[in-house]
Amino acid sequence: MSLRPLLACWSVLLIPLLAKGEEAPIEVPYKLTGTKHVMVRVKLNGKGPFNFILDTGAPALIMTEAVAQKAGVKVEKGWAKLKLDVEGGVTLPEAKGLAIDMFQLKGMNALGVAGVELHGVIGYNVLARYRIQYDFTQDKLVWTPLKFEPPEIQRIGGKGDGGQGGLELLGNMMKYLAPLMGMKPNFAVSPRGFVGLELEEKKDVVTVKSVLKDSPADKAGIQVGDVIDHAKANSVERIEDVLNAASKLNEGDKLFLRIKRNGERKDLTIELGKGL
Amino acid sequence: MRTTLTTLMLFVVFTPAGAQDAANIKPVKVPFVLMPSGHFTVTVKVNDKGPYKLIFDTGAPTMLVSNRLAKDAGLLDKKSSTPLFSPLGAMAQAKAKTFEIGPLKGENVPVIVFDHPTVKAFSDHFEKDQGVIDGIVGFPFFARYKMEVDYQAKELTMTPNGYQPADVMESMMKMMLGGNADQGKPKVAGAAGQWGIIVEKDAKDEDAGVTIKLVMAGSPADKAGVKKGDRLLTLDGRWTESIADTYQAAGYAKPGKAVPIVIRREGKEMKLSVTPANGL
Repeated sequence: MSLRPLLACWSVLLIPLLAKGEEAPIEVPYKLTGTKHVMVRVKLNGKGPFNFILDTGAPALIMTEAVAQKAGVKVEKGWAKLKLDVEGGVTLPEAKGLAIDMFQLKGMNALGVAGVELHGVIGYNVLARYRIQYDFTQDKLVWTPLKFEPPEIQRIGGKGDGGQGGLELLGNMMKYLAPLMGMKPNFAVSPRGFVGLELEEKKDVVTVKSVLKDSPADKAGIQVGDVIDHAKANSVERIEDVLNAASKLNEGDKLFLRIKRNGERKDLTIELGKGL
Repeated sequence: MRTTLTTLMLFVVFTPAGAQDAANIKPVKVPFVLMPSGHFTVTVKVNDKGPYKLIFDTGAPTMLVSNRLAKDAGLLDKKSSTPLFSPLGAMAQAKAKTFEIGPLKGENVPVIVFDHPTVKAFSDHFEKDQGVIDGIVGFPFFARYKMEVDYQAKELTMTPNGYQPADVMESMMKMMLGGNADQGKPKVAGAAGQWGIIVEKDAKDEDAGVTIKLVMAGSPADKAGVKKGDRLLTLDGRWTESIADTYQAAGYAKPGKAVPIVIRREGKEMKLSVTPANGL
């Protein structure tokens, strides 16, 4: 008896089958924070966006009291009913959430170690409604809605803190470390300045493919066909080298470029503008 | 014959992740136990000892094992316990030579040895029905896989994906002790490609999206049909709730690849497709 057909059979079974009537998967953007938490953005009752951590170690959707207030969520005995939108297109019209003072998040926010401000966690009572795929080699998660009503949870301890596992641990640690390290959180983001160049890369040579009219590059005198030799102090072989040289420049900052045109070297300075 | 076949089939389905053959990219199913509290546990083996029950926690940046488990599995034998942080009591960092969940095997997995009070409370509460709970499985293990969590089927589907998780403790210490050069300055967010638009949003404007203030002639946005005055709502499925959001969303959109955007124009939502140019 040959084993081959049997093995083939098994590999077919291993492929996840789309069950009849299963809803379409939804791609949910996420960010891996500096503390290695999986963070998604949500809106609560249409307000936000707020930053929430996906946490199978939490029994429910939990938000800080401050966030609940900001979103105008009505809280009764700690629990609230609200509309939950997760970035990417997941919507729960009547999600149940806990509004409690989350010292764990406070600790992390005080230090800013996560790199973003955190407002809550999404736990079992929401997560269980979806089959969720995590893959850190991809920039989105995949949520497939299940036709499944998760059983109600039994809470232990009853102190309004359902035990948030590692999150709690880390938050605690942060609280102790913050004053020692003298770190201040910094969540501000500023837009990079605009240049107006389209580039082309051939055999370690980067040339200008197009220049947008009246753009900063245009004003600095860059022309189509110019070869970018240096960006800042760095020699350029890849388009990435130019992007890296500009990666921390804001509107109004200057980018030095050394170009070659018709065999001649030319130094140009571009004052970055507004736009993307 | 039947026994042989069954064994063989099991072997095919549960190929160890450590194996070097092509079979190791096959998805592997790992059953879990859903607790009445909404947590779930998996059964693990550490350094070939066990089995132990651990809570599976996507919110945990570290692996956590109890002192009981650590002793049993010989985690602290070689290097005597080196306290990592004292504020929380006895805590030590160790490396599990092997860490197995069902058929999945991780090697040199960093763990923290610590009797976490919450885990202890759980363990005590559920011990009668579920047995002792000895810690938490977190990021350092599951990040190595493409992972699907299915509460209805009560199983994880894991496929090795080559991702190498950084050690959270090391990277945070690095961040705290060094890297203060950019502190105080806002992080600069840039698009990965060139779009040719300027977006704006008033501080008082609380509606969804940002407004397109300008579309540069001949730019990718212009070619895609974006117009001045359009309200940009999402970019490749990401909310563009603020100017910073818009730049961050565009930071994921690779040049040369068409991405969908949703705009509102004259009260109507429309989907357009923009291919950012290679440039800045």
